[in-house]
Amino acid sequence: MSYALIVAEVRRGLFEERNLDSIGICSLLEKDPIMLIPESDYSVNWEALSGVIKVKIEETQFLNPLNMVNILGKVIGKRGKPDVIIFTNSASGAELAAYTAGYFDLPIITDVSNYDKEQGVFYKSYYSDKIFGEFKPSGDGSFIITVRSGSFKEYVTENGTTPSIETIEDITASPVRTFMEYVEEEKTDVDITKADFLLSLGRGIGNKDEIPSYEELAGLLKAVISGSRPVIDKMWLPKARQVGTSGKTVKPKVYLAMGISGAFQHIAGMKDSDCIIAVNKDPEAPIFQYANYGIVADIHKVRDKLKDILKA
Amino acid sequence: MNLIVFTKRVPATQEEELRITGEGKAVDLSKVPFKVNDWDNYSVEEAVRIVEKSGGTATAVSIGDAESDEVLRRAIAMGAKDGLLLETGDVFHDPNVRATLIHNFLKKENLPFDAIFTGVQSEDDQFGAVGGILAAKLGLPFVSMVIGIDTVESDHLIVRRELEGGLQERVKVMLPCVISIQTGINEPRYVSIMGIRKASKVERKVYKAADYQDSMKSKIEIIKWVYPPKKAGAKILSGELESACKELLGILKEKGVYQ
Repeated sequence: MSYALIVAEVRRGLFEERNLDSIGICSLLEKDPIMLIPESDYSVNWEALSGVIKVKIEETQFLNPLNMVNILGKVIGKRGKPDVIIFTNSASGAELAAYTAGYFDLPIITDVSNYDKEQGVFYKSYYSDKIFGEFKPSGDGSFIITVRSGSFKEYVTENGTTPSIETIEDITASPVRTFMEYVEEEKTDVDITKADFLLSLGRGIGNKDEIPSYEELAGLLKAVISGSRPVIDKMWLPKARQVGTSGKTVKPKVYLAMGISGAFQHIAGMKDSDCIIAVNKDPEAPIFQYANYGIVADIHKVRDKLKDILKA
Repeated sequence: MNLIVFTKRVPATQEEELRITGEGKAVDLSKVPFKVNDWDNYSVEEAVRIVEKSGGTATAVSIGDAESDEVLRRAIAMGAKDGLLLETGDVFHDPNVRATLIHNFLKKENLPFDAIFTGVQSEDDQFGAVGGILAAKLGLPFVSMVIGIDTVESDHLIVRRELEGGLQERVKVMLPCVISIQTGINEPRYVSIMGIRKASKVERKVYKAADYQDSMKSKIEIIKWVYPPKKAGAKILSGELESACKELLGILKEKGVYQ
């Protein structure tokens, strides 16, 4: 039977919203969406699915690539090979997808953000979204994709019927990789998700010594400082200030991005801000695609000029 | 502990304008400077820190043309014992192809290791799949998005994986294994030009990638390269810097975040 197998991402009892993108792309692919999910009480739009395969296994064991390949082995044994296996393009989805591709020797295309039905090509980001590649799996066999969050959820259709339900059990958990515990981020005094006005700094600031001068600007503007991943990775700003998928999702009234080029993971964390203003010397920086206003200039010069005007 | 760590020389495209040539056949990188892949820089640093603390060696491996020797010298300057280049003039877009090449190489050369470190992804193609495919081919456990290594024992590691929204997951993984390292796991040491020059004296072995290409058939095809779809985009505040900045402050006032 021809079908698309969606590996659901569930975390601490929640059905992640990005699973909708995995369901949505099935409409474009014209495949019946069958979802693989641990057996538990998740809130899911069941009517958007043709079938559900419930796995009797703990959530944390389900999201373990060494167990996932055993689960998939049972699914394939029962229903035959899916035309496509779809994962989210998240920390866990991408990890599961790569290991599955290696284990079953399948083609893989990751971070798919668009699909052209006529040509049958998948669009995949290169060079931080500056270029996209049109990719096709070779041959007619099963293949794997991971889909970018937010790209396909608009294509989810509910057919108004209850999906068929199957159950898989007797999965032996792998002893070579085991979940121990979740580790929460430390609580801090500044909560960037509550700020009305964020001055957000990116790789373009160049080095750590520039931070105090931007803090001074933030003080003059009464803005709260946040940053993109490279600035946090380099430990120029604390982790609690990070905007993006692995940090915080923010929706301030104004998001003033300085020296941020706009990697997708960053955009995902700030695109719902009321007003986005970007300052970057690269006119091709992807962030200008998402911003309401932009200044193409050296950010240090803009900083200094703003300070001059504010102090005058 | 003997570690193999992969490092890749990639185009530094952050501030470069990229041009597609030949009606989508290629991306022109001829004027773009190259650098070490950010993820691999953190990965080499992490490997070196582990051997500095618990003994053993870190061996850096790169796939690429002769220029990739640069990232091997850099890894040696950081503390890797030696560098191996799997030399090829081809660019392999398919992560299955790269993982197969590495797998064939490790098997044929019988390189001993307790763990293999890769970056989570490379900056250029952002596939993020080679580590996972390789682990499965080797029949070894795999952990990706590793943002902390808390415990190093002779038979296992305890690591933290970075999930979304600031959440992490602590995982125990038995050795040997494949680990993909996330940026921000450490603060990579500074490498001086002198250090890299000194590293040139350490021998780097060169292997021909063509000798390890059994069953290395590509499983995906690149049809063509395209620019991202243009949205309406930002209204650019142009003119003199002073007037652009004043306009910016005007917007802040209008939005009510600055008086």
